[in-house]
Amino acid sequence: MADKIIEFDKVIAGYSPSLTILNETTLDARRGEITLLIGPNGAGKSTVLKTLFGMLVPRSGEVRFEGKRINGKPPRALLADGIAFVPQGRNLFGSLSVRHNLELGGITLPRGELPARIEEVLARFPRIRERIDNQASTMSGGEQKQLEVGRALLLRPRVLLIDEPSIGLSPKLVQEVMTLLRGLADAGTTVLMVEQNVRTALKYSNRALVLEMGRLALDRPASELLHDPDLNRLFLGGHARTAA
Amino acid sequence: MGDLIQLIVSGIATGAIYALAALGFTLLWQAAGVINFSQGEFVMLPAFAILLFIALGAPLWLAFLLACVAAMLVLGIGFKWVIVDPLIRHGVIPLVIATLGLSIGLKSTLKAGYSAEAHPFPSPFPGGQFSIADVNISYADIGTLVVAGFVVISLQLFLNRTVTGRAMQAVAQNTDAAKVLGIDVKRMVLYTFLINAVLAAVAALLVTPTYLAKFDMGDAIGQKAFFAAIIGGFNQTRGALLGGVLIGVLENLVGFYVSPAYKEGVALILFLVVIVFRPEGLLGRAEERKV
Repeated sequence: MADKIIEFDKVIAGYSPSLTILNETTLDARRGEITLLIGPNGAGKSTVLKTLFGMLVPRSGEVRFEGKRINGKPPRALLADGIAFVPQGRNLFGSLSVRHNLELGGITLPRGELPARIEEVLARFPRIRERIDNQASTMSGGEQKQLEVGRALLLRPRVLLIDEPSIGLSPKLVQEVMTLLRGLADAGTTVLMVEQNVRTALKYSNRALVLEMGRLALDRPASELLHDPDLNRLFLGGHARTAA
Repeated sequence: MGDLIQLIVSGIATGAIYALAALGFTLLWQAAGVINFSQGEFVMLPAFAILLFIALGAPLWLAFLLACVAAMLVLGIGFKWVIVDPLIRHGVIPLVIATLGLSIGLKSTLKAGYSAEAHPFPSPFPGGQFSIADVNISYADIGTLVVAGFVVISLQLFLNRTVTGRAMQAVAQNTDAAKVLGIDVKRMVLYTFLINAVLAAVAALLVTPTYLAKFDMGDAIGQKAFFAAIIGGFNQTRGALLGGVLIGVLENLVGFYVSPAYKEGVALILFLVVIVFRPEGLLGRAEERKV
């Protein structure tokens, strides 16, 4: 079994003192795997990613990366540690060119390294290369998502957090994005993904963690959960049969 | 025809000054979500700072540079730390009220503590004018256009051609996405406040020879800069330029061809027309903000 690279230990976090989302959440993600977070709306899936990436500070509990506590560490420091985040929705700077969006993705890198890193990303995403001098806002939804992922990969992260990558994409493009994430994981990048398109995402994931009311309700291999007749009920918020 | 060209050139020069102050409005709004209703007083204070440094023996150019530094410290860093940072988390309205209060406070303090009189202010440009055919254009107008044009073009080059400028644009467009990439959002917002302070100091240098240094000189320029920003589009820097120049030119034309009595109403009428028919401004884009 792969070792744990990300750990949440009884983490309590939320958006205000009166709005607690993560309720003593305990979970982990393993190196080189795609870990899929699923659960009903409000279960805390995106909050896990935001807390992990320092955008929310846990009120108690511990978040660890490679065994070291990272509670509340700012995003800039986490990027340097090797964690990158692609949030939900559109995250490009529409009026800037594709090249400039990529450059900003590498703003924490030494200036001299940036051209080679951009070339690396363009080699992986030929479609982005074709649009390199266009305004980012003129790209299709699929191209924009590729650019967002490519921009995150500029830093060669060891962990990629990605929230709802399939939103707004056609089924074909969803397959492309999932294949891309699978390829990254096979090459050693740990992927922690939140995705509503559960059946498709499960096909590409190693593990699935089901969250309910901010707690881990189920931890099972993705292939096993994919064939579970109760999948829809779990996803929509029914009570999990087997606690982790 | 000669009159028309003179009026247009002079209007563009005046409009360029409005545009400088309006640019500050749009930059602060885009980067920090701040509407600064004391922007006019941000122009008035550097004018008095320049006079103070001149009184201490500095030549005009040095007094201006010192005023820029003072403006960056007081109207940039000080304004951000003392007023914006504590209030910004409570939303736009408390900040609007605070900047309105700041405007009144600054004017009253200067009036009661220093002088209610209008003070003459040296022009950075030579007097006189030059003529081509039957068109007479003052050196002051040309100088204003050159300086304002230089500042605006430099700002645009900085925003579009440097990584820091593009990072500032990124913060203005999507702060959360900028944070996720490791862009130092706080620093970029601070840069915006510093740029606004310098723009206000430049506007002070250019406008005060005409307006004279007076405690309420910021009323007109602040109001027109605000209208210019709305007319052009509050979320577009080039909109502020267009809005400023439009107001400047139309004021001159109305003042000459209709009546000087209507000149001051031009900005307001243009503002109302744009708000009714194109609320996002002539060059602005419709904007959604999460509540």
